[in-house]
Amino acid sequence: MNALKWMVRIGLLVTLALVLSGCGSDDTDMTKELSDKDAEIAELRTQIAEIDELRAQIAEMESAAMETESAQMESETMMEERGDRLEAVRERGRVICASNNSLAGFGFIDDSGNTVGFDVDLCRAVAAAVLGDADAVEFRPTVAAERGPAMQSGDVDIMSRNTTWTTSRDVQWGNFAQTMFYDGQGFMVRKSLGLSGMLDLEDAAVCVQQGTTTELNLQDFINQNDLNISIVTFPDNVSANEAYIGEQCDSLTTDRSGLVSTRAGLANPDDHVILAGTISEEPLGPVVPHGDEQWYDVVKAVMAMLIYSEAYGITSSSVPTSVTGNTAVDRMFGLEGSFGQDDMGLSDTVAQDVIRAVGNYGEIYDRHLTPLGLQREGSRNALWSAASCTDCPKGGQVYAAPLR
Amino acid sequence: MATTPRALTYRGIPVWRHALIIRWVVQIVSALVAVTLVVWFFANIVGAIQERDIPAGFGFLSREYQTPIGEHFIPYESSDTFLYALLVAAINTVVVAILGVILATMLGVLIGVARLSGSWILSRLMLVYIEFFRNVPLLVQLLFWFFIVLTLPPVREGYVFFDRIYVNNAGISMPGPVGSSLASASAWLALAAVSVGLGVLVHRVLTWREDRTGRASYPLAAGITVAVACGAAAWLIVGSVVGEAPLVISSPEPYGRFGRIGGGFTIRAGLLILLIGLVIYTSAFVAEIVRAGIQSVGRGQTEASRALGLSGIDTLRHVTFPQALRVIIPPMISQYLNLTKNSSLGGAVGYTDLTNVAITMTQTAPAVSIFLLIMLAYLAMSLTWSLIGNLYNRHIRIVGG
Repeated sequence: MNALKWMVRIGLLVTLALVLSGCGSDDTDMTKELSDKDAEIAELRTQIAEIDELRAQIAEMESAAMETESAQMESETMMEERGDRLEAVRERGRVICASNNSLAGFGFIDDSGNTVGFDVDLCRAVAAAVLGDADAVEFRPTVAAERGPAMQSGDVDIMSRNTTWTTSRDVQWGNFAQTMFYDGQGFMVRKSLGLSGMLDLEDAAVCVQQGTTTELNLQDFINQNDLNISIVTFPDNVSANEAYIGEQCDSLTTDRSGLVSTRAGLANPDDHVILAGTISEEPLGPVVPHGDEQWYDVVKAVMAMLIYSEAYGITSSSVPTSVTGNTAVDRMFGLEGSFGQDDMGLSDTVAQDVIRAVGNYGEIYDRHLTPLGLQREGSRNALWSAASCTDCPKGGQVYAAPLR
Repeated sequence: MATTPRALTYRGIPVWRHALIIRWVVQIVSALVAVTLVVWFFANIVGAIQERDIPAGFGFLSREYQTPIGEHFIPYESSDTFLYALLVAAINTVVVAILGVILATMLGVLIGVARLSGSWILSRLMLVYIEFFRNVPLLVQLLFWFFIVLTLPPVREGYVFFDRIYVNNAGISMPGPVGSSLASASAWLALAAVSVGLGVLVHRVLTWREDRTGRASYPLAAGITVAVACGAAAWLIVGSVVGEAPLVISSPEPYGRFGRIGGGFTIRAGLLILLIGLVIYTSAFVAEIVRAGIQSVGRGQTEASRALGLSGIDTLRHVTFPQALRVIIPPMISQYLNLTKNSSLGGAVGYTDLTNVAITMTQTAPAVSIFLLIMLAYLAMSLTWSLIGNLYNRHIRIVGG
């Protein structure tokens, strides 16, 4: 069967070849016909080129259209991302706050088991702002070296944990909202050693907490002054403090506020002295995860509320609920005008909730840091000025974007 | 044709019951599942990293680390690179692992043997030791030792023995050899290694001759003599060429305003605490393995060797222990692996082991990349232990029939 089919096919092919060869008998006809055909082909070619050009144009237009479309889609997802965290927090009913639990004054566990402190109160203020309840905070105690990964994972809404704002952290960890406390690194030593300054630490052993800017600054300090210092690192401030107390190290180094806090907790605080001077800038403040501008704005606004209510002399017990006549105050407390509460997804009277719950910046400071002996008057952590007074700066650095 | 009964036609094994096919299908399906899982896992990681903008990559390795490392056994400057810093940290871990394994083995064997001793009190005491240290978490033990060491007097009021050995809560310092210059020290060390090799060779040859001909010689004494003589000759030669002894004994001494101890050989508190903790914890496990190994050797073996007049110690050394080793080695390797991996808790007591340094590095470099690297480093260390253990196991296995 197959063989037959093939024979038929071959036969057909042979006949076709014969017919074609027969056609080529008239020569002159052929040349004319050929030149005609050539002209035709040339014309067709130009047409094809035109069509190709049109096609290229269409493709270009199409890709441009696709690009704008994808850009639109991207911006849509961006918009979606924008309010995600605020909504997620409201749905969850609590703010997840990475905090310290072992630094008296800033973040630690008090006798009744509550997390309290200066940094902690910021988380409470944010909870009051977005949930109306300052206690709706879930604290995640975080040691220094875990901070970066904790922020990068995005599981934490805010980290308020005596964290120094540096450029690389800003890039890698999250957005630093604002400086809440201006600090610098210092050294604590036993008074009996009779040191006169930081440079007397030549040949000393220094205890330092791992995963902190402190550790890095200490290295800079050693390099700059060509000192011979042996360094012992510990994963948390508790063991670093123990090693200092047990005199495994001659000196303990961390932010001066941390030293004041540690010193206050020692058996005989007067036997220890914090050497004059600092070796670094340590602006401490809260961090929020990257990728949610709205949430970032909310945290900054909450800080501004704390700072400006102090500037206007409004405390937790004097929160205005009806128009006061002072436009700025009325605007802040949602009694007249707006500072953008709507766009941030907050209620008009958000400042009332916040201040009533945690008090203003000065109240928070007095509650947690003044008892440690951290003098505020005349320090960098005083207000820049009272808001109603343009001519009498208080000399501090605490300042925020105006609420309007 | 049609009358042939169907039942008699051999139709082969059905595909779904064919052993070969089933085996292949199972293999292929499980391979697919495994590959899919791994791919999914990695895709997930990569996706999450990209989505959250978590920094990754390995460009940081050639950057300057600029962070202190408390303990280092090779020279380290803060201007060294991340890669070198990781090496420094890895060596810290290797030092702890090797010292820990040696000490834990020695202590564990002693305790394991004592556990089987005829003395009721000794045996019970060892039982308490084993059960206590095996059943308390290592981190808790480390913190316990941390506070114990802190109760030692501080450096300026520390104990001083023979004016040479300093014991205080910053560590233990003792005299130790220090190369007077790198070239002469390394030259002598190389020659000394050759001398020891020569000694071993002499010992081997003499033992072989003794076995073959029965002519008595003293292979061990001869070997040691050769090694020591050659070593001493090398010392003199190197010393006379350079003009000073290749190694000098350096004694620790207090220095500076704070009376810190320098010079000599110092085990700092972090290393000391970590070693104490690891050795005591691991030795409890080793003791149990040794006990099990010894008990696995038939009682008849012990009785026979005692009947031959071998003492208790000789019985253990020549009869019981060589046979027990076959049982002991494999679980022992896994204890060595555990010790190496457990050294990652060193950071808790102030020792800069690999994990500790890696955690510090996450401040200034991408965490994912760093942890990937140190996972590989630990894997390499563990595989090395396994390799050594397996080679030794092959060496001591029963040969012939």
